[in-house]
Amino acid sequence: MKGWTGNLLRINLSSRTFKKETFTEEFAKKWVGGRGFALKILWDELKPGIDPLGPENKLIVALGPIAGIAAPNTGKTVVAAKSPLTGGYGDGNLGSRVTINLRKAGYDLLIVEGKSEEPVYIMIEDEKVQFLSAQEIWGKGTYATLDWLYKKYGKGAGILTIGQGGEKKVLYSVIRSMEGRAGGRPGIGAVMGSKNLKAIVVKGSKEIPVADPEAIKKIGADDLRKVGEIDKKTGWSIQGTTGVLAWCNEVAALPVRNMRKTSHKDAWRIDGERLNAARVATYGCPHCTMRCGITILDKEGHQSELDYENIGMLGSNLEIFELAQVASLNYLCDDLGLDTISSGGVLGFYADAIDQGAIDGDFRFGDAEKAKELLKLAAYREGIGDFLAQGSMRMAQKIGKDSEAYAMHVKGLEISAYNCKFIPGMALAFATSAIGAHHKEAWIITFELKETARDSYGKEKAQKVIDLQRIRGGLFEFIVACRFPWIELGWELEHYPLYFNTITGLNWNLDDFWKVSDRIYALMKAFWAREFPDWDRSKDYPPKVWFDPANADKEGIIAGKILDLAKYDQLLDHYYKLRAWDSRGIPAKKTMKNLGLSQEAKELAKYNRLE
Amino acid sequence: MKIQVKIIGYLINQTGFSEKELQIPAAITAEELLSMIKIPKEMPKIITRNGNAISPLDKLKEGDRVVIAPLYSGG
Repeated sequence: MKGWTGNLLRINLSSRTFKKETFTEEFAKKWVGGRGFALKILWDELKPGIDPLGPENKLIVALGPIAGIAAPNTGKTVVAAKSPLTGGYGDGNLGSRVTINLRKAGYDLLIVEGKSEEPVYIMIEDEKVQFLSAQEIWGKGTYATLDWLYKKYGKGAGILTIGQGGEKKVLYSVIRSMEGRAGGRPGIGAVMGSKNLKAIVVKGSKEIPVADPEAIKKIGADDLRKVGEIDKKTGWSIQGTTGVLAWCNEVAALPVRNMRKTSHKDAWRIDGERLNAARVATYGCPHCTMRCGITILDKEGHQSELDYENIGMLGSNLEIFELAQVASLNYLCDDLGLDTISSGGVLGFYADAIDQGAIDGDFRFGDAEKAKELLKLAAYREGIGDFLAQGSMRMAQKIGKDSEAYAMHVKGLEISAYNCKFIPGMALAFATSAIGAHHKEAWIITFELKETARDSYGKEKAQKVIDLQRIRGGLFEFIVACRFPWIELGWELEHYPLYFNTITGLNWNLDDFWKVSDRIYALMKAFWAREFPDWDRSKDYPPKVWFDPANADKEGIIAGKILDLAKYDQLLDHYYKLRAWDSRGIPAKKTMKNLGLSQEAKELAKYNRLE
Repeated sequence: MKIQVKIIGYLINQTGFSEKELQIPAAITAEELLSMIKIPKEMPKIITRNGNAISPLDKLKEGDRVVIAPLYSGG
């Protein structure tokens, strides 16, 4: 077997033991890597109903055959676990030197089990694994933790770490790496914290096994250069992901005031042009020639690396239009190890609930200093922070008074920075994202506006969501590479079978990849249905407020318009039918069989009805 | 006639401006506007007028707000 190392490392923190295991070629071909590996391991090894923050949960670090090979843009690592925020399957990916080092240490997959009695960090160096005391770094932010570990192991070491948010098990805490990088929105940082695991450090010295090393060396180097040239020619990375902010403001898709509004006259103050003008540095992931980490100085003088999601959720969504203050909130989230999107969603919901009179409090939209204070309280779970640390779904359940309607999440995960009160297909994309409302799996707003009528709920929108889920939520998450060259620069998808085949010696085409994608989407949904025996389609709905006429914009280009519930239901039906899932959104028995999931269907049938 | 033109993201590198009022001949098409402001035809883009997407052949009107953006895919 080429392309994969064929090895996984299983580490048990309770017993402080580790074991190198092998996986079969059949497993590799069926699940490929990354999200596929993580999902299958969690499905097989977790008992349904376990406490996500208990020692039974497992933290997975998963790579794929392309990960870590010098080609565009292969520096990503997938982290996964049963989510404490949603109760379902949870994962994320982040740029990290772990990608290269773990592969060079001889592993494609790391499974962390149990719970350490004392705070520890793990040092993996090829065959050697050490459990080391984290007393000196426990309680520290991620920047100080990274510095401490860099001093010991050098900047070339791969490091995953958590901040105080993860230590205190904030339900939307993330895993962090390489200063500005973060992943694992559905509380994967809290899972790491629940295990008393502060960091994972990896150093590898072996060669990654590749079918045709000379060919991939040439293709990879050429293509990295070409991607960089396209970026330079277009100028994409001048504003990076933040270019879209000004456009969202123009087309009424910007999150403003807990997504109550869709645009704002001051949005220009925090847009990509202003960000680029304030830039002091640029950072990127390993093996990237289109670096998007635009870094500016925050209000306190820290370097803060921003992207669109950060600015949308911590800026416009909170009606904070001073870029340095948005950067401060972003820096705090990064240092404390909190997800920036969910943090913006939680604070937005909190301000809104106060506004609506549903809860007492002194936080108002636009109050950056108070927002900073609240983020710190949340990370340490002190005072009101303990309430905020639970995420907007649980907050709304506790507040009651119809606040669930404007708690902006799906399945418990806060919605990313696109306001879909009148963008039906994108609302479907959020609602059917496999980990809760994340933009990473499908984003169809330009398609909806350009190729369809904005107010249509046709089958073509459901098909587009599925097509993109196959590519973004499937392909890039299981071969494990960054989707940006394709998404942002139009780097053709056909390059990826070439990389994959050159690395593995196989002869796959894109259709082979789509079958793996569909298998993974079916099993991700099965994971939810196994955890929630009362599963129904209502869990694939966006928040009620998007259907509420009283919430329609009062002015602007979508004044008076909102999503139509009956038509959304039709759109969801289209989606289910195209996927051959039942009307509850659970894959049908025959569908699972056709995707090679007969055993998994039998297991699911123990907990939920299969049609 | 006068229109307001807003350029988004990296297309600013082509036009050299991000927003301005332009005096243009009456009944000009969106495509002709692109040529006037030096945005290459082959560059993927989405053009909106007053918030709604339009085709390159659509004619512009006095007072339009035309926004020209890269064909974003949502990061």
